[in-house]
Amino acid sequence: MKRVGIIGVGCSRFGVRDDVALQELAFEAVKEAVQDAGVNPADIELSVVGTVGTRNYELMPAVPINEYCGFSGRGPMRVEAACATGSAALYTAYTSISSGMADIAVAIGVEKMTEVDTATSLAVGGRSGNYLFEFHQYGTTFPGYYAMYASAHMARYGTTEKQMAMVAVKNHRNAALNPKAHFQKEISLEKALSSKYVAYPLKLFDCSPISDGAAAAILASEEKIRELGVDNPVWIDGVGYSSDTSNLTKRPDYVGLRTTVEAAAAAYKMAGIDNPVKQLDIAVVHDCFTIAEIMAYEDLRFCSKGEGGKFIENGDSDFGGRIPVNTFGGLKAKGHPLGATGVAMAYEAVKQLREEAGPLQVDLKNYRALTHNIGGTGHFGWVFILRR
Amino acid sequence: MEGRELTFRHKLPKTKIERYWKELENNTILATRCSRCGEKYYPPQADCSVCYSDDMEWVEIRGEGTLESFTQQHVIPQGFTFVSKPYTIAIARFGEYRVMGWYEGDELPKIGEKVEAYTAKDETGISKVYFRRRTLKAEESP
Repeated sequence: MKRVGIIGVGCSRFGVRDDVALQELAFEAVKEAVQDAGVNPADIELSVVGTVGTRNYELMPAVPINEYCGFSGRGPMRVEAACATGSAALYTAYTSISSGMADIAVAIGVEKMTEVDTATSLAVGGRSGNYLFEFHQYGTTFPGYYAMYASAHMARYGTTEKQMAMVAVKNHRNAALNPKAHFQKEISLEKALSSKYVAYPLKLFDCSPISDGAAAAILASEEKIRELGVDNPVWIDGVGYSSDTSNLTKRPDYVGLRTTVEAAAAAYKMAGIDNPVKQLDIAVVHDCFTIAEIMAYEDLRFCSKGEGGKFIENGDSDFGGRIPVNTFGGLKAKGHPLGATGVAMAYEAVKQLREEAGPLQVDLKNYRALTHNIGGTGHFGWVFILRR
Repeated sequence: MEGRELTFRHKLPKTKIERYWKELENNTILATRCSRCGEKYYPPQADCSVCYSDDMEWVEIRGEGTLESFTQQHVIPQGFTFVSKPYTIAIARFGEYRVMGWYEGDELPKIGEKVEAYTAKDETGISKVYFRRRTLKAEESP
């Protein structure tokens, strides 16, 4: 298996992007990534396009995106894994190179979610489990799915709405310094706690926004990296993947995600990590809802099961804490354009590892970062370990 | 500009577990169990995903359940605007089967509370499972 590195990353501004079409949005990220890598678009051998679609007027969007970015004839390999679609794109680009099928590939993640109204968006997201037995009968929504995990976590471990709100406050504070974030302003704990319920116990400020955005990453084999003379590659040291049932009723509990536990175990093993808090400098985790970040602390083994609420309360996931988490603002405040998210996580981790994160830079000791991306409510899960 | 209208209204197939939907109309909730390997399924399925057998038996879910999680949905998705107030979705465990349903009433349930399940049609004619707090001692076992 060949070693694979990330040699270029790009990310559009996230938010309501009614100023651009889907392919124009993707192009913003691809152009930045190509320039960042210092390669010619013609050098790219394979393009992987990750996009969920449905909420955008272009229902089969991969080809228009691929054409606009100049990759006709070299892809698109389209992938979809709900909210982990971007990681599916990265994984596909990674395996195409590690297997020797390609030497240089681009993973493009893009989503436009704001072309339909909120009720429609909720009805689409509510179909991310099992349509007939969940949405059709009971009107599940995406916030509702995570809310069922939140209520179970609160009952079993005493996690509080205040602790969940603290995740939002931290991530908004970080996003205020991220020029690509959807929400670049801080919020108070009181404001988060007094926002309206979307799906009890989750309130408006527990939820990531509905955003448009794109991200791109250029991956290459070790030989290609040497040939190109790239001096700042970020290596993919570990990757883990898992999945779970579409029906929530076929799971044994609602206090953690099996996909996270299994994906992390595989990625840690591959990268030789047995103490993530000590061996990683920073983590980018899937905080589509605040409870998701709290469960991620536990399932990624940053703390024991049930201690996630205390982890945020103690400042363990903040700058200067045991392991800074979502220093870029998280999906919670930067935004969560489904297809873009996994690739945008790599973008943020690469910027940190290259010490290009400006006011949001953390101190590096190990030069290792983790990205954790979940699709659906733990339906898909990826963990990547990146190293400079 | 606005895009041209596109309406999706899927025609739902009968599926191999049509009996589940028919029995829901008779206040009966059915799961399946694989006769060969014993794997249990709710929602029911006609084929075993573990041993690939299609020799499945129907099992009725009844008696006392324990509520394991819930949410009260305040922001209503397209397709559910017929509900004029927040609705509560819960998952309860009945023996070795977990079932999703609507928890009746406006009050929030408590995790761990005992419930019983029944079926009814909602205003759009779709049959589903409802839960209510169990007040009487169970004579039947789950």
